Amino acid sequence: MNTSAPLLACHNLGLTVRGACLLQGVSLTLEPGEKLGIVGPNGSGKSTLLKLLAGIASPTQGRVELEGHDLHRLSRRDVARTLAVVQQQADTSDRLRVHDAVALGRTPWLSPMAPWRPLDEQLVHEALAAVSLEHLGNRLWHSLSGGERQRAHIARALAQQPRLLMLDEPTNHLDIRQQLALLRLINQLPVTTVIALHDLNQALTCDRLAVLDKGRLVALGVPAQVLTDECLAETFGVKGRWLQDLEDGTRALVFSPL
Amino acid sequence: MRPGWGWSLLLLSGALLAATAMGETALPFGQVLKVLANQLAGAHYPLDPIDVGIVWNYRLPRALVAAACGAGLAICGVILQALLRNPLAEPYLLGISAGASTGAVLVSVLGIGGGLISLSVGSFLGALLAFTLVIVLARASRASGSAGLIILAGIASSQLFNALTAFVIARSANAEQARGILFWLMGNLSGVRWPAVALAVPVALLGLGVCWWQRRALDAFTFGADSAASLGVSVRQLQVLLMTCAALVTAVMVSLVGSIGFVGLVIPHAVRLRVGPGHGLLVPLSALAGAVFLMAADVLSRQLIKGQALPIGVITALVGAPVFAALLLHGSHRR
Amino acid sequence: MKLPAYPALALLASIATSALAAPTQYPLTVQNCGKALTFDQAPVRAVTIGQAGTELFYALGLGDRLVGTSLWFDAVKPEYAALNAKVERLANNEPSFEAVIGKRPQLVAVQFEWMVGPQGAVGTREQFHDLNIPTYLMPSDCVGKDNLKGADGTRLQAFDINTLYTSVLELAKIFDVDHRGQALVADYKARLARAAARAQASAVKAPTAVVWFSSAALATDPFVAGQQGVADYLLNAVGIRNVVTSTEEWPTVGWETLAKANPDFIVIARMERRRFPADDYQKKLAFLKSDPVTRNMDAVKHDRILIVDADALQASTRLFDGIEQLAEAREHYRP
Repeated sequence: MNTSAPLLACHNLGLTVRGACLLQGVSLTLEPGEKLGIVGPNGSGKSTLLKLLAGIASPTQGRVELEGHDLHRLSRRDVARTLAVVQQQADTSDRLRVHDAVALGRTPWLSPMAPWRPLDEQLVHEALAAVSLEHLGNRLWHSLSGGERQRAHIARALAQQPRLLMLDEPTNHLDIRQQLALLRLINQLPVTTVIALHDLNQALTCDRLAVLDKGRLVALGVPAQVLTDECLAETFGVKGRWLQDLEDGTRALVFSPL
Repeated sequence: MRPGWGWSLLLLSGALLAATAMGETALPFGQVLKVLANQLAGAHYPLDPIDVGIVWNYRLPRALVAAACGAGLAICGVILQALLRNPLAEPYLLGISAGASTGAVLVSVLGIGGGLISLSVGSFLGALLAFTLVIVLARASRASGSAGLIILAGIASSQLFNALTAFVIARSANAEQARGILFWLMGNLSGVRWPAVALAVPVALLGLGVCWWQRRALDAFTFGADSAASLGVSVRQLQVLLMTCAALVTAVMVSLVGSIGFVGLVIPHAVRLRVGPGHGLLVPLSALAGAVFLMAADVLSRQLIKGQALPIGVITALVGAPVFAALLLHGSHRR
Repeated sequence: MKLPAYPALALLASIATSALAAPTQYPLTVQNCGKALTFDQAPVRAVTIGQAGTELFYALGLGDRLVGTSLWFDAVKPEYAALNAKVERLANNEPSFEAVIGKRPQLVAVQFEWMVGPQGAVGTREQFHDLNIPTYLMPSDCVGKDNLKGADGTRLQAFDINTLYTSVLELAKIFDVDHRGQALVADYKARLARAAARAQASAVKAPTAVVWFSSAALATDPFVAGQQGVADYLLNAVGIRNVVTSTEEWPTVGWETLAKANPDFIVIARMERRRFPADDYQKKLAFLKSDPVTRNMDAVKHDRILIVDADALQASTRLFDGIEQLAEAREHYRP
């Protein structure tokens, strides 16, 4: 492992599909242990960036480097042992148990001839425990609520033993209680995280934010410094006022139209 | 799984024996056993050579090919359902069998190929053409991201090929030709001998082997192709490998025995109901169930109506179409 | 020098019948297969659909009235070759409706109801009659036969040789060559009587036979002659029993069943058509001798395989050639 190289970095990353430019000229470097949030309005390229960084899609310009190696020169298996993705929408009509859905996360560590080991079983249990779903292991997937399914997806990603976790708008379609629980869980995870978010207030808990607008990276830095009045107006089309909670000092943004 | 393999082989052997013992004419079971003893164990029972020929050269190869064909088509159904994420996917519904029929008809009725290409080769090429068409359509519609469109494309493609077949028959074939072709089109194992076994069994085993080797990758597709990619599966490579495998297996089987539908649809679903969606069990058990199912359908096709052989495709459709309808209803119910 | 008895009898018979023959009285009405056909005069332009009808025209010396022929199974009889070369062949298989009426015929002679009939491949009788073109169906294909059941039709009663005589006599009457018709029929009757006598003369009990026309593929279930059809009539005329029990004209029966029935003779059809590989009688022979089951059949082992023209197995003038061939075989048969 190249310890001097950053965990994940991209240089001049771009994707053009059928003449439409989805992403252009994005360069950033991920610090180990950090929580990077990706924010931007609809269509700004958040999902595209995540897919490119995870290696699920191939860029038309630029490159992505995982620990100093070109992502697309590495085998998918090697990538999957380092990096795990929780997608925005992933569902199945198969009647499988939650335990088996999470067990899929061990796929990059298994081979056709290697049988299922006790170690694999243990890791699956730990992943379920980490998302507080141990009691639901034997239930069928479709009997889970939306929030439980998201947590199960995260458990599956954790079972991959990744050093880097990528989440694409994981709080979509969840009610407020589930959203808070999920964010708290993600905050506690001991892995480097890249998370695409819709809600700017939720994004305030990230170490750094990358702001995308129409496929370009327009700002990168600490949330308070990045979410300036200009940024909010130009990129998001709103006015924001910072509020501070007198009890614990957390800051939040209140929005109003321009 | 150790005890499981033993039971499976026992069941398969039992089914093979039963299929060999039953046929157009009534042969005493003792005779059948004696023939097998002579051929396999070097015994020296005195036997009518016609009986020996019937059991060893007609019925046994026929049962083996039915088993291989059933296993192969079931495996193709498993592959297509996993990769296309659609429970209705199977080679027949995707138009591959229809393409094979068109190929066969072009060769036998229009004489395309000038007598150098046999019915089987024509159907093989037709099957591959139809499969290619579906893949092209699949890739084109992947951008719009709907696997349901594949099924519709497959149905449209099969209607196209069926119409071509009907057109050629109506325009060019006399009644006898039409009858010969139509019988073949619905599945016909009557001409199968040992050379066909030498082709069908290895192909089925190959399909089974490839599918078994990739069972974990197939599981990884549970939540979609992107999810499989993030789990470390080389999605494009796997799709090419497995689709090619399914195309070849289907083309070979259809070229040997004609068009038999619904095996790839019914069997994987029936097996899933019992053992769940995990491919570690689904793949081998679907192969086994497919083999037994088609052997039973073959025996039934010869015994259902006295003195007349029904095409096997009729039997599988009579079983398969209601199951298909039930699946549709069940699916819409849950939504 | 003593005149050979049989030719003398035939000569006598023909002289006698020509005394009975009379010129046709017009307008002539003929009841043919459920339709009444009226002729104001002898037609001068005729089209035939079916080789049997064509060769009947030549036998009656009506070759100069033919303006189009179609539906051929084999090369024309050598003695008619020169004559046939002058007549336009509309199609080797079925002609189109326009091709037939384009010749402006005053009569269309049809061998099979599935060519011109309720489900006619060329057209319905009404289509022709609406254009004032009478269609003459050979009675042998409509009397006592349901052509809508079974692939080649099902005989409701056994084929009656008199329907063939009727077609000769009726056509002769229509074309005002009654004396030629009578002579031809007398000749046929004499030949039939001679053949039957030869068969009777043999003291050996009735042998069995199967008549193999062709197969969709060489090893698949063959098309064989069923009960009550023309081929069956041939067998019965010379005291041979058909092992096939189906009443369809040409049913498909498996080799297993035929092998177990183990007939004394196997009659195979020779034809020029090459739509199926099994059309070639050499291939049929090769199959019988190499297949592990059929090569053990008595008929194959003792080389009791008779090669007969396909046309002799239909209601045509060649029927009597076929009968003579079978009578010869029967005469020399020793179990």
